[in-house]
Amino acid sequence: MEKSTYIYMKKIGMFLFYMMLFLVAGLQILPLVWLLFFSLKNNQEVFNTPLFSLPSPPRWENYVKVWVEGDIGLYFFNSLWITTVSVIFTVLLASFVTFAITRMNWKLKHVVLGLFMVGLMIPIHSTLIPLFNFFMKVKLIDHPMSIVLTNIGFNLPITIMILLGFYNALPRELEESAVMDGCSVHRMFFQVILPMTSPVIVTTTIINMIYNWNEFVFVNTFISSDEYKTLTVGIQNFIGQYTTDWGAIGATLMISVLPILIIFFFLSNKIMEGITAGAIKG
Amino acid sequence: MLKKAHTILWLVVLMLVLAGCSEKTTEKDTEGKGEEKVTLTFMHLWPAGSSKQHNMIVNEIIQEFEAENPNVKIKQEILENEQYKNKLKVLGASNELPDIGMTWAAGFLEPYAKGGLFTPLDDLLDGGLRENFVSGTTEPYALDGKTYALPLELNITPIYYNKGIFEKYNLEVPKTYDEFKQVVQVLVDNGVAPIALGNKDRWTGSMWYMYLADRIGGADTLKNAINGSGTFEDPSLVQAAEEIQNLVKMKAFIKGFNGLSNDEAKAEFTNEKAAMYLMGTWDLPQFTTNEDIPKEFREKVGFFKFPEVEGGKGNIDSWVGGPGVGLFVSENSKHKEEAKQFVKFFVEKWGERSVTRAGVIPATKVNTANIDLPQMYIDVLNELANASNITLFADVQMNPEAAQTHLNLIQSLFGESVTPEKFAKQHQEALSNTR
Amino acid sequence: MDKVMSDKRVIALYVLPALLMIIILVYVPIIMTGYYSLMKWDGIGERTFVALDNYKQLLKDSMFWKSVYHSFLLAVFSVLSLGGYLVVSLVLAGRIKGANILRKIYLIPMLLSSVAIAQLWLRIYHPSNGMLNQFLSFLGVDDPPNWLADPSIVLYSVFIPIIWQYAGFYILIYYAALKNIPSSIIEAAIIDGANPWQLAYKIKLPLIAGVIKVTIVLAVVGSLKYFDLIYVMTGGGPNGASEVIASYMYQKAFRSFNFGYGSAIAFSLLILCIVATWLIRKLTHTEEEVQY
Repeated sequence: MEKSTYIYMKKIGMFLFYMMLFLVAGLQILPLVWLLFFSLKNNQEVFNTPLFSLPSPPRWENYVKVWVEGDIGLYFFNSLWITTVSVIFTVLLASFVTFAITRMNWKLKHVVLGLFMVGLMIPIHSTLIPLFNFFMKVKLIDHPMSIVLTNIGFNLPITIMILLGFYNALPRELEESAVMDGCSVHRMFFQVILPMTSPVIVTTTIINMIYNWNEFVFVNTFISSDEYKTLTVGIQNFIGQYTTDWGAIGATLMISVLPILIIFFFLSNKIMEGITAGAIKG
Repeated sequence: MLKKAHTILWLVVLMLVLAGCSEKTTEKDTEGKGEEKVTLTFMHLWPAGSSKQHNMIVNEIIQEFEAENPNVKIKQEILENEQYKNKLKVLGASNELPDIGMTWAAGFLEPYAKGGLFTPLDDLLDGGLRENFVSGTTEPYALDGKTYALPLELNITPIYYNKGIFEKYNLEVPKTYDEFKQVVQVLVDNGVAPIALGNKDRWTGSMWYMYLADRIGGADTLKNAINGSGTFEDPSLVQAAEEIQNLVKMKAFIKGFNGLSNDEAKAEFTNEKAAMYLMGTWDLPQFTTNEDIPKEFREKVGFFKFPEVEGGKGNIDSWVGGPGVGLFVSENSKHKEEAKQFVKFFVEKWGERSVTRAGVIPATKVNTANIDLPQMYIDVLNELANASNITLFADVQMNPEAAQTHLNLIQSLFGESVTPEKFAKQHQEALSNTR
Repeated sequence: MDKVMSDKRVIALYVLPALLMIIILVYVPIIMTGYYSLMKWDGIGERTFVALDNYKQLLKDSMFWKSVYHSFLLAVFSVLSLGGYLVVSLVLAGRIKGANILRKIYLIPMLLSSVAIAQLWLRIYHPSNGMLNQFLSFLGVDDPPNWLADPSIVLYSVFIPIIWQYAGFYILIYYAALKNIPSSIIEAAIIDGANPWQLAYKIKLPLIAGVIKVTIVLAVVGSLKYFDLIYVMTGGGPNGASEVIASYMYQKAFRSFNFGYGSAIAFSLLILCIVATWLIRKLTHTEEEVQY
């Protein structure tokens, strides 16, 4: 009898546990639903109807407006390539540094690590004027490279920090056996370390992707030509001197979150795949 | 494998380095052509998305100018308010302002003018442009006798009200402040929020204070307190602050006003949840022609002048308001003459088109006799013609540092976390410290 | 082994490109900020050297200290919330049904930009027709609070969306760390009869201790220089009740045109961050890093 009660209790417990999990999951989806509804409203409805009400009729024209009036296609393309290039270089450079700091032997490594960590601590608004001057001097103002470079520079520290915790946990025997086999450092890095750290590489890729995709302060400041602007700047098209078109902003936000959502779902699976791949190699 | 790894590494480094070099070559090309063709950069606030009409007019004017001056090309950059101000600041710090741009009056313009970044435009005014402007509108852009920008718009701030709600509770438009308070009381007793106010933005509350200061102390008391010839601790300015807190205690303003933005507050008014709304005439299109807002509501909106306070020195035809944005020309512009010509051209073409098509009240004189305008515009233009005085928004009058203190104090005053006496005292300190 | 792993050329090749970028893009601005902080400068006109005047003024500036206090509070809450994220990650990384889809859904909010998140929470907090207060009215609360207008609660009202916004970020890191633990270790422990609690507490947590330390530093530094949502949702108000260091710095440098003073705030923030990080490193220091 006691045993069956125990199993019974355990079942109820599991049920409640899953209830909780899915309830929270439901809550976490709501923001997307809200954003969709928001993007189908006009200003009146945005402020005066409940958060999760579908306006009637839904104003799909918001999307038409965003597509026609903003140069969304071009902004989209810019966002895409700037984000891609920035993410690849940030993660790669950060992996190099983390590898050198955690696995290799040199005197200044703690100092260098400290230098990178301090890079986390400066508020971006106080860097705008000095950086503008710098890009002015190297003639990169109004050039997309200025955005790529700042994206990399400002995300390197946080990426290195995240990688650090993982690299510290990697078993050293691996490298030892690799070196015994006469493997060079480069080969070890690319063939052993990178595959083994692929879960965290995917993680930092996701994080960097989100940061770079949503970045707008630097784009606003360093870019003035329309041809180099990115999606986040597109939002400004709907903020006027005295009035703001919230529905169109909602549509822009929705358009800009979709690609990142899809890539995220795709990459998120890679965290698992990476782990299995690493396990086989290891 | 080793080679492959090395190659990738050097590619990384090379790409980063090359990025700089490749740019320089393209830059030279454009500079080479620059001798005959002139490209002027123009930064403004009217994107096609939110300000379609403004944007169209700007583009038309640019096209016409380019047609008349085939060697000149105008390149636009459009940003929203907040980002615009930030970018102008960063550009200013690096001496890289656009050839032509928009600026606000007085306090905002002062650092740029003093820093020698804006060029004086008096020669344009003296060359015949002065007659185009409504008198007094260029003065807020002047510093030490030189005018640094030419205004495009002129606004006053009436109290808009919902005629439907007023009728429902048998309310009349108040002529005196006591009547106004009775209106507020009746609305509160009936569970209707009397006044929509979004005081997160702070300048919104500032206008209420300015009107009370004007009606109690007269048109000059506040002006003098700000320019230093008077004091902020003048009894009438303290009394105005007391009156604000009395209104708050009466629950005259919508719930949570100190945490609401102006947009959110306006929605309470257009949603007919609040009966009154003190705002600039830039919102007139919203209450007349804007199709997004229900017609039944637009027909219910009227406006009245801020009532007179009995025993006060102010008069009912004195307004809070003033010119909004104006055009400046950068002192460091390589093509200053062309830029100035563009500003002149713009100001001349802007006036009539802006009022008929974008609903802007321009700072230039417009002959309204043969233009078809909604009745509310005609009423406002008449009021403007009869105005005894227009006091420039306090946060625009003050220098940026004092303006921030003023705005913060306004929020505290409305939030009842500062006494009227301290409110006045801290203003006085901020104003004398930053002068 | 040692010889291969101390090859100076390889180290230089791996470290210098990133270091160079950091020095140019981050250290030059830091040094310039330090330099501007010794000036009286409106950001446009002439600069006058005033030595430490800005800092002296800062020490007496009660608003600055208030904002420092608020930022530290945010740091404390952020660190505490790490515990919650850790629990969620342990659950998601455990052997539960639907973990794959749940994990994805849990991370969705982090994809949204701050603009979107701010708009959502402004609607939730709206004093009369916001979701929260309508719910409270439904429950019969007479005069529900003004979440963003009441100086005594506004700070906490903005903390909640901030902490929620970053949940995905930390869950993602913890999740990857937990999944990185070789399954052989877990299986061995299960064979030894460890229950899920012991497994989490005795095996998993110690193994990801390095990652947890890093997240503590990230949470503290991230909180101390936090800006986005606070600026959009309250602008630091009402009357500075939700002002944090970065928003105060922004107000001074970009709104009050007091760039020298703003730079002094930014530089103080940098120093506070360095001190805080150093303290965390000291407090969480262990003799040797855990290895598998």
